[in-house]
Amino acid sequence: MIKTKNLSKDYGSLTAVANLNLTIQQGDIFGFIGPNGAGKTTTMRILVTLLEPTHGTAFIDGLDVRKKGKKVRKLVGYMPDFMGVYDDLKVFEYLEFFAAAFAIERKKRKSIVDGVLELTDLQSKRSATVDSLSRGMQQRLGLARVLIHDPKVLILDEPASGLDPRARIEIRELLRELKRMGKTIMISSHILSELEEICDHVGIIEHGRMVFSGTLEEIRPRLGIESKVRVQVANNQDKAVELLSALPQIRQVQVIDDYISVTFGDDQEGDGIIARTLVNGGLDVTFLQPEQLKLDDAFLQLTKGIVH
Amino acid sequence: MVVSLYNFVLKLLSLSWLTGPIFEKELRVSSRRRRNYVLRFTYLALLTIFLVLTWLAYVPRGGTGLYQISRMAEAGKGIIAYIIWFQFIAIQFVAGIMLSTSISDEIYSCTLGLLMTTPINSFQIVIGKLFSKLLQLILLLAISLPILAIVRVFGGVPWGYIVSGLCVTLTTVLFVGSVSMFFSIFNRRAYVVIILTILTLGTLFALLPILAAMFLHSVVSESQFFSAVSYANPYVLLAFDTDRMMSPRMGGWPALSWAVHCVIMLVASALLLLLSVLMVRRVALRQAIGELGTSSRGRRRRSNTKAVSTASEHRDFAPPPRRVKGPAVLWKELRSPVFGRRKIAVLITIAIGLIFLFVTYGFCADENALDDEWVHILYTVIFLALGILFTIILPATCITSEKESRSWPLLLATTLSDRQILFGKFAGVLRRCLPVWALLFGHIMLFTLAGVIHPLATIQMGILVAWIVVFLSGTGLYFSVRFKRTTTAVMMNFGVAALIWALLPFVITLIGTIVRDFRDFHAFCELYWDTNPFVHAVVIIAATARNGGLRRYDWLEVGARDVSEATIWMLSCMLGYMFLGLFFAWRAKCRFRRNVF
Repeated sequence: MIKTKNLSKDYGSLTAVANLNLTIQQGDIFGFIGPNGAGKTTTMRILVTLLEPTHGTAFIDGLDVRKKGKKVRKLVGYMPDFMGVYDDLKVFEYLEFFAAAFAIERKKRKSIVDGVLELTDLQSKRSATVDSLSRGMQQRLGLARVLIHDPKVLILDEPASGLDPRARIEIRELLRELKRMGKTIMISSHILSELEEICDHVGIIEHGRMVFSGTLEEIRPRLGIESKVRVQVANNQDKAVELLSALPQIRQVQVIDDYISVTFGDDQEGDGIIARTLVNGGLDVTFLQPEQLKLDDAFLQLTKGIVH
Repeated sequence: MVVSLYNFVLKLLSLSWLTGPIFEKELRVSSRRRRNYVLRFTYLALLTIFLVLTWLAYVPRGGTGLYQISRMAEAGKGIIAYIIWFQFIAIQFVAGIMLSTSISDEIYSCTLGLLMTTPINSFQIVIGKLFSKLLQLILLLAISLPILAIVRVFGGVPWGYIVSGLCVTLTTVLFVGSVSMFFSIFNRRAYVVIILTILTLGTLFALLPILAAMFLHSVVSESQFFSAVSYANPYVLLAFDTDRMMSPRMGGWPALSWAVHCVIMLVASALLLLLSVLMVRRVALRQAIGELGTSSRGRRRRSNTKAVSTASEHRDFAPPPRRVKGPAVLWKELRSPVFGRRKIAVLITIAIGLIFLFVTYGFCADENALDDEWVHILYTVIFLALGILFTIILPATCITSEKESRSWPLLLATTLSDRQILFGKFAGVLRRCLPVWALLFGHIMLFTLAGVIHPLATIQMGILVAWIVVFLSGTGLYFSVRFKRTTTAVMMNFGVAALIWALLPFVITLIGTIVRDFRDFHAFCELYWDTNPFVHAVVIIAATARNGGLRRYDWLEVGARDVSEATIWMLSCMLGYMFLGLFFAWRAKCRFRRNVF
């Protein structure tokens, strides 16, 4: 649904995006991650036709964003990292204004606006002026605006920034609902744990270059990260260490407080082997958990945190 | 003891107790702003151009050496008078612009509240801001001092005139700066502050003296009246002093009233600054406790809005939202209130203005002057100037305000075409300008009904207003797209109008006096004047305001004397300016998607 080919954007001597290649499948939620100034927002702005790329091409549903700007805008709903409000408009008027801007027929507009207000749980605010809404409500309104013309693709730049935990959870639920509706969503965020919960794929960008793109499961081998298991036994920790060290699949055994951290060799996984070995050795296993690779860890390992 | 006394004296002399660290910070920041260097360069360039042109106008080439020397003293007087008047007017403008964002910038970057959490007090904030800008203005004044000293060598210019001129300029600048700073406490947008400052100064130094002259002319003599006015009016005072300096019969020395005038202006500035200190303190404390905005009215409005929105959760008290009809941008532009949110304040101002207007009509009727063409020329020029002022401002704000409220990218991300947005914005500008132009047409139609002005004036004035609106809307839209900040766009549009309708005519007239022998250039100068909207207005009213009859159209160069020829000339000007306006509008459309962020 979204594809970029050697996409580049220069601002004078500064290269914001450099030869970016990206593919997002229809119906996916794609998490776009990177340090500040990495080029996320620039890429998104190119995709929604607000910026012209210096080199390369970008396609939305097969349409070149450079040549078919108007058609692309019809397909895409863009929520920037700021809330653009018209002070003197009410919520309903604001949404109907954008419905009219997207050339939706007048007789259909009311039902569409009511529909998105319901979806975003803003019915009670329909007569409130836009600038009187709280930050969380404004973010919801931003999402409602994005949905007004029923776009196939949603490009959301930091939609949860500055929100309290409850509002973040609500936005997350809303995004899940949108995925169920078949929307393709590209979302950037600094709250990585949230992306982890909702994204099918992630792209990590630094210095305008994509340093990783794929599923979370694909990051581990890409980073050469070993799989680890944490074990706790009820008695005789030394014997447990001795038994585990003897296993050929295991590269390292470390004791950290009451736990034993077991590191497997490349591409090896085997919490089953550990449990079997310890039980056969007459030990009571009280805790056994594979250590999961967090998106935060991958982000830290893949990026250096240097900004332009 | 001695050391502490020494330190106390040092602190007292350093004036840091007066301005706090604000003064130092302002100086540091201003040295990093490119616009300050551009301002100094422009000021110096204009001063030099005027100086050269004045020199050439007074001391013509050719003639004997003795003749040229005999002209030196005259040239010296002329040049000094030009410099003093140039500085007097230009530095007032610069002061108004420089101080127009002095407090509002602090308010909207939320640093005013922060300052209140430090030992700095509001007095130091106000004085620090004012002095830092004044220092730069004094620097501009100082640039001309060597020229003033050199020119005085030519003879004929008393020191008293230069000293009084500089003192009057300085105290007027202090007053203008104080007015601008005062308004910047209540208004975020610099152009609003600048306009309010101009209107206030216009009221104080022009409208009130004119009204006073109307009512007092039978009580006091003309010389007594102007002598009294000169104590509080720097324009009248400087005009008096210049007249004395230029006149060989008066001895050249200025009247001593200039010292009294300076004291009066200083006291007025001090009172205004005191008021500013009190207001800044209130606003800063409000911001320090987390309330944004500048006025209690704003606070009330916000709380009302919140109350309405809360109530609407339970009961549907709020008026129902309006439905969007027709093209989206057009609907939005036509929907927003003409008078903005401060509807009552604006309506009261309009009501007071109309009362003043009818009082002046009454006075003119009492004097049997309502059928005098010059009375109608004066009214027309004032209304035209007001209309032009608003037509400069409104188009220049329509896209930059979208950029400032960050809704511009959202609009561009819709499927609206650039042309639809442009037409919507233009319609919005027309609608907002309408009430101001209604004053002009109201006046003309009223006196057409009264049989004083010929009905043709309405049509010809319509042609004039049409091209002014299209031209200024085109340039305004272009600058609005081109720049990010509303103030820059407004200043640029104002600059274009000032350049082609005030500065260029003045410069080419000066050049015309230098090259008297070139008849073609002289004809060109007058032809250029004939394209000026104010000349059009004066010619139209002079030809149509005589007991409802028609007279000859007295253009400066154009030979279009009768109605049809004059109308053809007006239509030609309309075509030219409309073409330019549409060209700028087209360029604006082409730049819509550039510099979006």
